[in-house]
Amino acid sequence: MLHKKIESVLPLVQKSARYTGGELNSVVKDKSKIDIRFAFCFPDTYEIGMSHLGLKILYGLINSRENFWCERVFAPDTDMEEIMRKNNIPLFGLESHDSLKDFDAVGFTLQYELSFSNVLNMLDLADIPVRTKNRGEYLKDNPVIVAGGPCVVNPEPLADFIDCFQIGEGEEVMLEFLDLLNEHKAKNSTRKEFLIAASHIEGIYVPSLYSVSYNEDGTIKEFTANEGAPSVINKRVVSDLDNIYYPENFVVPFVEVVHDRVVHEIFRGCIRGCRFCQAGFWYRPIREKSVDTISKQSQKIACETGYDELSLCSLSSSDYTKITELLESLLSWATPQKINVALPSLRIDNFSDELREKLALVRRSGLTFAAEAGTQRLRDVINKNITEEEILGTCRKAFEGGWTAVKLYFMIGLPTETEEDVKGINELCQKVVEEFYSNPNKPKGKTVSVSAGVSSFVPKPCTPFQWEPQATREEITAKQQLLKDTVTSKKISFRFHTTDQIFLEAIFARGDRKLCDVIETAWKNGCSFDSWDDKFKYDVWMDAFKKCNIDTEFYANRRRSYDEILPWDHINSGVNKSFLIEENEKAKKAQTSQNCREKCNGCGSNKLNGGKCDALCKNMVH
Amino acid sequence: MRSVRIWFTKKDTAKYISHLDLTRCLIRAFRRTDIPLWYTEGFNPHPHLVFGLSLPLGVEGEREILDIRLDDESYNNERVISELNRVTVPGIEFLKIAEPEYKPLFITSGLYEMKLSSHDNSNIKDDILNKINTKNIIIHKKTKKGEIKEINVSEHITDFNILKNDDSDLHFSFILPAGNDFTINPILFKDALLENFSQENISWAIVRKKLLLKDGTEFR
Repeated sequence: MLHKKIESVLPLVQKSARYTGGELNSVVKDKSKIDIRFAFCFPDTYEIGMSHLGLKILYGLINSRENFWCERVFAPDTDMEEIMRKNNIPLFGLESHDSLKDFDAVGFTLQYELSFSNVLNMLDLADIPVRTKNRGEYLKDNPVIVAGGPCVVNPEPLADFIDCFQIGEGEEVMLEFLDLLNEHKAKNSTRKEFLIAASHIEGIYVPSLYSVSYNEDGTIKEFTANEGAPSVINKRVVSDLDNIYYPENFVVPFVEVVHDRVVHEIFRGCIRGCRFCQAGFWYRPIREKSVDTISKQSQKIACETGYDELSLCSLSSSDYTKITELLESLLSWATPQKINVALPSLRIDNFSDELREKLALVRRSGLTFAAEAGTQRLRDVINKNITEEEILGTCRKAFEGGWTAVKLYFMIGLPTETEEDVKGINELCQKVVEEFYSNPNKPKGKTVSVSAGVSSFVPKPCTPFQWEPQATREEITAKQQLLKDTVTSKKISFRFHTTDQIFLEAIFARGDRKLCDVIETAWKNGCSFDSWDDKFKYDVWMDAFKKCNIDTEFYANRRRSYDEILPWDHINSGVNKSFLIEENEKAKKAQTSQNCREKCNGCGSNKLNGGKCDALCKNMVH
Repeated sequence: MRSVRIWFTKKDTAKYISHLDLTRCLIRAFRRTDIPLWYTEGFNPHPHLVFGLSLPLGVEGEREILDIRLDDESYNNERVISELNRVTVPGIEFLKIAEPEYKPLFITSGLYEMKLSSHDNSNIKDDILNKINTKNIIIHKKTKKGEIKEINVSEHITDFNILKNDDSDLHFSFILPAGNDFTINPILFKDALLENFSQENISWAIVRKKLLLKDGTEFR
């Protein structure tokens, strides 16, 4: 039952079904029989958070333990937040509607840097002190605040707010962590006692146990572990995807969410090594799930949810070794059940006729390519190993198959980029248009539309470009203008990302602990939902940097030297720094690296997985 | 292929499911059962669901109506109900199934109950009953053309009955037009009754008890 106070405000807000809970497969337990209550917080709205696969996995995992109860929490929309603050309704879990303060642990997933201000806002809405040091002496004073997700590649900008970070994949470390918390809760430990003990779990990083000193130029002088905490924190890696927990059902939302379907992750890691891509390095090594497991688990979830769509996900689905076999297996039961199978991230170089036909069997979807750069030289710099001939060849096939719309994704502001490279984006689009008209069997009366999404490059930690400066806002604006000026065809349309948000993203991606004050200041001055164009307050952020005496260019636009101590150096992704340096040097010379299946480049990530990497199964080099 | 009519509730938290979301939610519920739902033919087959009359968001329904078509004529009626109840969500319960007698366009009105209670013990009863006695309760209704039309609810409301009445609580039943041609949203009626009070101090609950035919008997 809903608490009366919450019930009374629901008629006053938009899409109130986002706050009621009670969805199919949501888990309600008898709290008198629960040892540990965990609140899984997604620092964005319900529609976005409910689309997240990690939430579904960890929610099911924690709830599979009888004495643990995991609930979901999302950032309330602006209208709901206002009403909650006015009526003193604290942020609550959707299953019990109890305040977050009643939980033992509150966990945030950090999917993008621009959600950081929402983390503070959600803690504050729950009346939990935003800073670690103000949460009292004992565990019972406040929930333990944990965080995980891809942004913990560099957790430093949130170091003062989060009690401990879970680095890497959560399926194993989460239960170890909650078991330890349960033990310490039972003996009424202090927060410090618990946090020191937690720092000894592999993959747990407790920022308050480390001290940082800085050089005069603002770079890090020394990063020291205290109280026996490990000096390097190893990322957690799940070794066997066939035998790790996977949910048997998903919570099925009432309101329409962004990804409202069965999702199945078919492998982790990526064999490609595109040099700008954080995920491509962070999620290494390659681990594939078997066709049989994927098919069986997906069918079970489809039965339990009633979804009519199944989507496969991974960083590059067509690199799955048995993709054809997998699609056949899935389609054999999905088609009779009127379930549509979707493959969102297809790399174009192995988009075969065969595969295309299989997907067309179910329902035709649009054609999207990530070309990333306009010229071959620049594609070689970023190690995006596709050629113009491959792009055009695939388009030709697609046009022959009846497609008339192509979406291309590009980035500007990449390292070594020249005017020619920027103009090359338009030239490539133009060639795609020409390809359409050179098709003798093109459908009569139809025209082609090529839309190019052009975002700006953000250098990220754990990539070969982690030392590179981001292009300044002025440079980006000039490049966008150059591109707009070169377009001559009405068949081509460009969509640009706003430079302001990208700039902030770059600052936080490679930020250090000095940024904690900035985040708190900006949040106090009204910043939240920074990833939403209509809610992003650039001026308030810039004002916060000024107030805290932080030079934004130091973080975004500065080239680092290889020997500088980087704020995230103590987080071990498994990928060797020497490998990243090698790749950076090759980028400067526009030299490509082969993909991991063609040749092992020795990134080192397999050492966190007992030496195993599924890319090495075939064509073993070592 | 045969048509059947199903009666169901939409109560508690389920009252916050919008009509569009309810459609999706019920289609998914059917897909979790072995009920042989009939699908339309063509490129994008979809099941055929027709609701008696949509409920406004926030209003509970005790006997809501859904018409579906079954592909397998021999599939047992009672099994439809038990299968649906096996997979349903809290607040939505399937009550009975029968062959449709009337088409949904014969629905002309709904029987409702409304409960109003004030949190600060202010006397709402007198104010509201006075208002009803004035026979002049104006609501503003948006027509399909987007124009705002003024309607006096008193001219359309029938069978007003007080069920419970003390100082801070008022519980009554009434019939309002509801159907294809003309509908008065009971929430607009509630808003008009409460226009002198601050929204946050009064909690309200509206239940649609059943849908009625022109002669006042239940739609079936």
